[in-house]
Amino acid sequence: MSVRRLELFVSMVLRGGVLVSGAFMVAGLALLWLTGDVSCPFGVLTLEWVIWGDPFLAPSHVLFLGFLILVATPVVRVAASVVAYISDGDWVFAAITGAVLLVLVAGMVMGLG
Amino acid sequence: MTPLFVAEALLIALGSGFLGALLGLGGGVIMVPLLVFALGLPIHIAAGASIVAVVATSSASASVYVRDEITNMRLGMFLELATTLGAVTGAGLMAGASEAILKTVFGATLLYASGVMWHQMRSTGRSWVPMPNDHFAEKLGLGGSYYDAARGETISYGVSRSLPTFAISYIAGVVSGLLGIGGGGIKVPAMNAVSSVPMKAAVATSNFMIGVTAAASALVYIRNGFCDGFVTAPVVLGTLIGSLIGARVALRVRGVMLKRVFIVVLLALGLRMILSGVGLV
Repeated sequence: MSVRRLELFVSMVLRGGVLVSGAFMVAGLALLWLTGDVSCPFGVLTLEWVIWGDPFLAPSHVLFLGFLILVATPVVRVAASVVAYISDGDWVFAAITGAVLLVLVAGMVMGLG
Repeated sequence: MTPLFVAEALLIALGSGFLGALLGLGGGVIMVPLLVFALGLPIHIAAGASIVAVVATSSASASVYVRDEITNMRLGMFLELATTLGAVTGAGLMAGASEAILKTVFGATLLYASGVMWHQMRSTGRSWVPMPNDHFAEKLGLGGSYYDAARGETISYGVSRSLPTFAISYIAGVVSGLLGIGGGGIKVPAMNAVSSVPMKAAVATSNFMIGVTAAASALVYIRNGFCDGFVTAPVVLGTLIGSLIGARVALRVRGVMLKRVFIVVLLALGLRMILSGVGLV
């Protein structure tokens, strides 16, 4: 992959994450306005709620999915770069970005633990 | 949640997203006090909304900067290794550190950085001092180039003193982990004043990096207290729009102008940090 293609690829990942998460947030706020449903889970979120919502795609659930996609965007960007550098045979940068991904995921697991 | 509240939140977010994208700061340090003082939000809700907004600023502005080849991705990924390691260290240190001392030291560092940048700009009349790659930067291919739309020419630059900047980025990561901020106020001066990276490339590369550091903290916040989502959503949407505009404006502004604004904002942030550290704000 040339430098230019890598840039366009990374830019596309970032733009996609931003647009999709933004769309979820607009939809969530629109649903909130239409339904007036301000219910949302109290305290620490459970995995069950994250997947299924209560009910599925309640305004709070839609907003949550939007935030989740947004926060995942930089992580996906790093993962995508690891793949790109490996396919390029740029081992030094594959190792650097791979280490970043590892620390990032470890940090997230630690924070959630 | 009244329409007026939503409008005010959107406006504040637009402004800090714009400045964050323009200056490579992430924007959290600008947004939190505004949300607390102007909207009367409790600090933890403001901080939670702001950490998600920082990810928004980073990803939205980076999508523009990377596409237009201003971001130095190799340098960004190299320094990211330091900031993420630092952030994990910082989060681990959390219990032992005094926030007051930390804020005061951090504030003083920002003041020092703005002073160095000001002095450098005054003595050279430029937003950066061209230097060749150092040995390490040469090996990793960290130098870069970009087309500067404001000057109408392609600017090539080397990255000098890459290891000191790597070390400073690690400390920026520790501070991010400890104080829950993006750390752009340290990354930009490090790249620009220490490693002689042009201001525009430093701003774009800092924005590129910030999202990675902020993502882990943002995830923890979202998971722990989600009912503030109704506040966070308008804030994040405003930030997305503001930072898309900010990145486009930054492409057209001259580096010297960018640096001037940066120095002033850094000065203000440093003072605010110190005041907050000694308990006056």
